[in-house]
Amino acid sequence: MTSTGRARGFIAIALLPALLLFLFFVIVPIFWSAYYGFFDWKGIGSAKFIGFGNYAEVIHDPVFWRSFKNNMLIVAASVFGQVPIALVLALLLLRNAWIHKFIRTSVFMPMVLSSVVVGIIWGYIYHPEIGILNFLLDRLGLASWKRQWLSDPSVSMYSLMVPIIWNYIGPYLILFLAALQNIPSEMDDAAKIDGAQGSRKLFSITLPLIWDTIKVAVVLCISGSLKAFDLIYIMTGGGPAHSTELLASYMYNNTFSIYRFGYGSAVSTTIILISLVLIAGSQYLMKRDNR
Amino acid sequence: MKKKTGALAALTLSASLALAGCGSGGKESGNANANNGQGDGKEKVTLSLWHNYTGDDQRAKTMRAIVEQYQKDHPNVELDIQAIPPDGYRTRLKTVAAANEMPDLFVMWPGVMTKEFQAGDLIQPINELLDSKTEWKNNFLPGSFDGFTIGSDIYSAPIALSPTSILYYNKSILDANGLQVPKTWDDLLKAVEVLKSKKITPIALGNKAAWLAQSSIFSSLADRVTGTEWFLKAASNDGAKFTDPEFVKALTYLQDLQKAGAFQDGFNALDNTQMEQYFAQGKAAMMIDGGWALTNLAATASQDAMSQMGAAVLPSIPGGKGDPNTLSGVVGTGLGMGKKVSGAKKQAAYDLLYAMAGPDAQKRVLESNQLVSYKVDLDKSKVTPIFAEVYALVNSVNRTPVYDGVLSSAVADEVNNGLQDLLMGGKPETIAKKIQDAQDKSTQSDKK
Repeated sequence: MTSTGRARGFIAIALLPALLLFLFFVIVPIFWSAYYGFFDWKGIGSAKFIGFGNYAEVIHDPVFWRSFKNNMLIVAASVFGQVPIALVLALLLLRNAWIHKFIRTSVFMPMVLSSVVVGIIWGYIYHPEIGILNFLLDRLGLASWKRQWLSDPSVSMYSLMVPIIWNYIGPYLILFLAALQNIPSEMDDAAKIDGAQGSRKLFSITLPLIWDTIKVAVVLCISGSLKAFDLIYIMTGGGPAHSTELLASYMYNNTFSIYRFGYGSAVSTTIILISLVLIAGSQYLMKRDNR
Repeated sequence: MKKKTGALAALTLSASLALAGCGSGGKESGNANANNGQGDGKEKVTLSLWHNYTGDDQRAKTMRAIVEQYQKDHPNVELDIQAIPPDGYRTRLKTVAAANEMPDLFVMWPGVMTKEFQAGDLIQPINELLDSKTEWKNNFLPGSFDGFTIGSDIYSAPIALSPTSILYYNKSILDANGLQVPKTWDDLLKAVEVLKSKKITPIALGNKAAWLAQSSIFSSLADRVTGTEWFLKAASNDGAKFTDPEFVKALTYLQDLQKAGAFQDGFNALDNTQMEQYFAQGKAAMMIDGGWALTNLAATASQDAMSQMGAAVLPSIPGGKGDPNTLSGVVGTGLGMGKKVSGAKKQAAYDLLYAMAGPDAQKRVLESNQLVSYKVDLDKSKVTPIFAEVYALVNSVNRTPVYDGVLSSAVADEVNNGLQDLLMGGKPETIAKKIQDAQDKSTQSDKK
């Protein structure tokens, strides 16, 4: 009893510095920001308390809902794009031949590039004048497929999904590889003896064993997509005319381009609520009986 | 898992919140540490200076050279310089303003920014300095101090003049197609038609950042249609509204130009610099851009390309209420002085301000291909031919206001986005309505 008590005390002390930093820089600002959301404040001068005015405006703001819709597209693209692709790649690349290592490294590559670099690279790929994508379509005789990839609102969100998926497959691939390698080889042997093979083995043994990892990946994916900002900011800035605005870029523009700090804070608080709901929802849907 | 979920969610959002919290990278402005007993007997002073002269263009280099010279001449002054790239400069400055940690001297815009800083009690007037050097003060062009003046207090002296809507044209392309520089709207539409039929881009446009169409094309175009008086009334909610037919008409003109195919494909995905390069490479016959293009062109375009360039005002609009012989423009940035500067530090700040905005500096800036709002005889051998042409143009026409120089940030943002929408085919009436809504909201929150 005393020894566990001492261990607990030690754990508490060891955790304290990190916990304090986390509290101070992450938790406290969340409440702070929610509080600023109650004010009409330009960032300079005095702030005026206006109750739920900003929050009411958020709910009635068509641009906010447009950003929300765009952001849901990004969430969907990430959850149904990044996670399955990463999972399939992980299953294929489990072995350690040099070719597998090579592909793993290449898939992980974009992750070590700064997102500004990624944004600029893809900006050039989609460039209306010198873009390589339109150039290739031309050469392949598909000139009718050419588009203004980033400024035509009917395709721009989809154009933006490609680099976002491409950019973030890497970490999920690593996550899944680690999980797969953790499956004890006895399981494989047992499966072999029982005659489980191919898809049967995949769905009855492999996937259930890494299900927790998939859950974590989905949570990371949803939260990552809801704070997506950098690539969009570099490539379109949320434009033209808010057509590629996301929640985070909308919050940023309100706060730092037109200096409505109070309203921007209300938007960011709303983003928190939305992502909590989404993450809770996804966890509920993926719940499996652990009987 | 539950705990993890909460933590993850918190982490997610911390990024968005951190944005609001950080960014005040500015150092606490050093206090004048009375460190007497130095060799020269002068008081040791630390002065913080924030500027955005970070580029490779000639003006930026000139300004940096002036600051270096000042540093050499004033060994008792220690400068703490933050050079911030122009794109992020305003945001950084606003952030320290929100935290009430202004630098001692900083590049400041006239108009809305000066007003906001003054209202926040963050800056102090420099009348004392101006009045001690009357010759300098009187040599500024008329109206130079307007944007920096509140009541009888003047808060800065401009080091630049920015006409925003110059029609640059490529002489050889126009000549080759038998075209004149368009004087009227019909001329312009006809030129567009001719050039288009020959597969030449009539007008280069790079509107990714959204302010360009507003600042360069629309500010002048709308002024031609509505007249300056109407705009100032609408901006101050005094008997005119953005839903008025004349404003809708101005929007329609701009949309007609786009529908006629005046701009190259993907204009909403190019930025201002790319547009200038596009024009400089001879890929477009015209471009509507501000005076800031001159320093960029001087630094990047070839001699050959520059000798082909000419400058004019935007064409007149039939039946328009505005004076067609005008350019929209603003007096450029000057140096503002933080409220807390005093004593020996204030004297040093005055010296630096005079070094950077005084007669010598104005002359050197002008010779770096940057227009100034100050009477200087231009030595044409020191600048590019296109600069000399613009200089002559600016001195021969009147100046009209720029939309984002007058409107509050929120309304200007609505105009910017509205114009992007318009150029993608949005309805002028709907856009006018949205702009007026933003205007109503903005004046309402000011009154409260």
